[in-house]
Amino acid sequence: MTSYIAKLRQFYVENKEHHTYRQSSVNPHSLAKEFEKRELSDTERAVERLKWVLEKEKVVVFPNEKIALLRTVPTIPEIYTEREWSVIKRSYRIHEQGKVSNICPSYSSLIDKGFNQVRLEIEESLKTHRDAEKIAYLNILLETLDIMEAFAERYRLAAIEVGNTTVAESFAQIPQNRPQNFVQALQFFRLIHFGLWASFNYHNTIGRFDQFMFPYYEADLAKGVLTRESALELLQEFFISFNKDSDLYPGMQQGDNGQSLMLGGLTTSGEDAFNDLSKLCMEASLELKLIDPKINLRVHAGTPIEVLELGSEMTKQGLGFPQYSNDEVVVNALKKWGYREEDALNYVVAACWEFIIPEVAMDIVNIDALSFLKAVLEALPCLTECETFDKFKEVVKSKLCRQTAEICSNTNGVYMEPTPLMSLMMEGCIAKGQDISLGARYNNYGIHGTGLSSATDSLAAIKKYVFEEQRVDKETLLKALEADFVGYDELYHLLRFEAPKMGNDDDYVDALAGELLDWFADSLEGVSNDRGGIFRAGTGSAMYYLWHGNELGASPDGRHQGEEFACNFSPSLHTHLKGPISLIKSFSKGNLERVANGGPLTIELDDSMFRNAESTAKVARLVKSYMDLGGMQMQLNGVNREMMLDAQKHPDKYRNLIVRVWGWSGYFVELDKAYQDHIIRRSELDF
Amino acid sequence: MTGLVFDIKEMAIFDGPGIRTTVFLKGCPLRCQWCHNPEGISPKVELMVKYAQCIKCGACVAACPTGAVHSLCTTRGECISVCPLNLRRLVGESYTPQELATFLLKHRPILEKNGGGVTFSGGEPLLQSSFLLATIKHLEGLHCAVETSGFASKAKFKEVVEHLDYVLMDLKMVDSEKHRYYCGEDNRPILENLKYLKGSGKPFVIRIPVIPGVNDNDENYRETAKLLEGSLNLEKVELLPYQRTAGAKYGMVGRHYLVDFDEDAKPYFNLEEFTKRGIEASIL
Ligand code: SF4
Repeated sequence: MTSYIAKLRQFYVENKEHHTYRQSSVNPHSLAKEFEKRELSDTERAVERLKWVLEKEKVVVFPNEKIALLRTVPTIPEIYTEREWSVIKRSYRIHEQGKVSNICPSYSSLIDKGFNQVRLEIEESLKTHRDAEKIAYLNILLETLDIMEAFAERYRLAAIEVGNTTVAESFAQIPQNRPQNFVQALQFFRLIHFGLWASFNYHNTIGRFDQFMFPYYEADLAKGVLTRESALELLQEFFISFNKDSDLYPGMQQGDNGQSLMLGGLTTSGEDAFNDLSKLCMEASLELKLIDPKINLRVHAGTPIEVLELGSEMTKQGLGFPQYSNDEVVVNALKKWGYREEDALNYVVAACWEFIIPEVAMDIVNIDALSFLKAVLEALPCLTECETFDKFKEVVKSKLCRQTAEICSNTNGVYMEPTPLMSLMMEGCIAKGQDISLGARYNNYGIHGTGLSSATDSLAAIKKYVFEEQRVDKETLLKALEADFVGYDELYHLLRFEAPKMGNDDDYVDALAGELLDWFADSLEGVSNDRGGIFRAGTGSAMYYLWHGNELGASPDGRHQGEEFACNFSPSLHTHLKGPISLIKSFSKGNLERVANGGPLTIELDDSMFRNAESTAKVARLVKSYMDLGGMQMQLNGVNREMMLDAQKHPDKYRNLIVRVWGWSGYFVELDKAYQDHIIRRSELDF
Repeated sequence: MTGLVFDIKEMAIFDGPGIRTTVFLKGCPLRCQWCHNPEGISPKVELMVKYAQCIKCGACVAACPTGAVHSLCTTRGECISVCPLNLRRLVGESYTPQELATFLLKHRPILEKNGGGVTFSGGEPLLQSSFLLATIKHLEGLHCAVETSGFASKAKFKEVVEHLDYVLMDLKMVDSEKHRYYCGEDNRPILENLKYLKGSGKPFVIRIPVIPGVNDNDENYRETAKLLEGSLNLEKVELLPYQRTAGAKYGMVGRHYLVDFDEDAKPYFNLEEFTKRGIEASIL
């Protein structure tokens, strides 16, 4: 890392000195009152809000920076008063905050053309429309360009004032015109991205950055404007910009802001897309060790192992990325769901792991979540009537289908606030004179699936002990669950610790997981939503693994009442795992193409597995092996200090946490406190 | 015939080339003070309890005819299923060679695709050499390695090495007096077997556990390096620094961790003695 980057990192990330430029927060509803009085339409309100925020912005340019823009307005105001919003909520389905979020626009559609060109397109479109509403909308798109340009111009003047010629030159060129070089292209991106956050869009993903930025990078290298070293420095400065204002972005918690960047994979013509800029992005992130942007890596059969090795180097940092996805599985799944081949090949991830298509999809990939375990527990009262395990499974399936039917019927009438700036980057909005919030080429809804491993283990226990071995009678099981196992110590022990569990490459259990996933997919087959889209089943959990776990009683896998599920596509927290190989085998068995909304197999690996280059390379082979087996998505965590401290407080949550020391491995929670402390101390040395 | 296994570790990445599964065979004739696998020492099934998490509920005491006193354990295991936290288990599982091989072959495609295979470790795996050899016969040519202290009869050592693809051998110290003191046995058989190994043509790695104040001196490094000099099938020497966590599992098997060296001292490394003799050496 150059000293310049180190200084920037310290300024923005460690000391957060830029916070001194922040203005005081305002009542988020003050603007809406005025909008209500003026009887503005929602689109007018959206554009007025953007104008208000950007005009209120204090422009801050530092003399030496190459990529400017700093948020100083902490609150993005709402466009509706609280009263108006409660009326809207009564008549529409509001997803999360009611804003367009978690999609991927085509940044390059603005960057590559420049606003002048886009303006011409809007004016062309205006000529084709007679409808007053459409004309009004197109005029709002033009106004959006004006607002962004005016804001950029203020930055240009401020840059001149402090003598920052790079930034001044950038804003002399962009956004009106196509960037002349890489730094201008990056500044252009920053401007648009900044505008999206200022429009109250959130989970603003980055997309295939290495693809759409590559021409600028390549040209600068060819011209000698940049060397690889200076490009790396520039890219790092750009990456730091994702961390400047991120505490102001909406999200469940710090870091949950959706700034995911997708690298590599296949091009739309089916070739390896990984290029030198992809590599540079990984190198930049590797050195910076920042949580944003979040790096995702698409893997296909032809992805060189060196790329995965670089990925392992990143995992070693303990940040939890890259997250890997398997092109062969994901692209096929998307095609089966009706995405065009070229769109499927262009997939990226939404905020967390859901697969989305840039520019053409207004999918809501996390509209709700199915609770697999709930379906099992709801079937339990019928257990005594079921003579065979197959009969019982049928009941579970019907309960599961009822749950999804209810979920689907609750998705009607979605309303989202319009977003002109986002719409400028989404296919068809200019031509049709229609906001992206109203829909795109794809309008599919994704449903998470939580508690899969708990549900699977529960079914396996019932199959084995109740039906096959008849070791446990039905009444006793039900009573034990009712009592949360109090007074049923041996049964509890049997179910929780001795029963077969998902994750150990045991077909007996894994086949049941496959069935649950199939039922989930079956239940959504042929169902469409009221935007004409389909429903996609997935294996993600988001925060539902806590919520769904908390609301359920004790389960036949020995899980206590209220105990949380494992997160995403992972073995239950009290499974004694055989090891990573069995794990990846277990989690690649089902028909994953049918449940490809997204949701990674998450594996925690101790940082001692990354001790040297050779062992780190072996971790890369684990990733490759998972993909070869037909796995869909994977996330590895190099275990860090925080996790171990938490493990000391909540050992139950970390039963699977393995610490490798020298030639032996042990479960962290089994070690004496003194040894735990020691390992924690040692882990501090790694940072 | 059965063998006693105390652990099977998947994706053992420090136990030979590629991705490997390591089988830990129970029982060891040596008593190295710093041994980090105390449950591998005894050749018998034994009780292992995660006392660190024990909530002293007393369930095991009530269930056990001897009152769950570790040293009186009869390994009948009545206490195991009564512990609400699953802290108690019997360590040491019997396998026939066929059973073990079937288990290991389940992952064969992944192991082979990643240039790996199976490693037999311990304890001292050569203590169960006939079981080991019988298992290998069923492994259908899967790459097999052994991680050994080298403390075995010449005949056994030779036979096992002949049937294996790769050897990882410990070489604790050259001084036999010290060896007897710290490891409980003379190192002459080890040095003899090393001589054979050098001439065997089998690729091998030498591992030196670096114990502060015990073997981390220039003389031992020099003498070790001299022993290894000129051996064409030696791939590399790896120094394994002593880990402060070595004693972690002693309490769990009812043993005491007693060492006669300063655990907190920084181990001293000397790679140069090896590299100047053309031997690749690194600290692991
Ligand atoms: S049963 Fe388990 S928790 Fe209870 S005293 Fe015995 S070891 Fe401790």
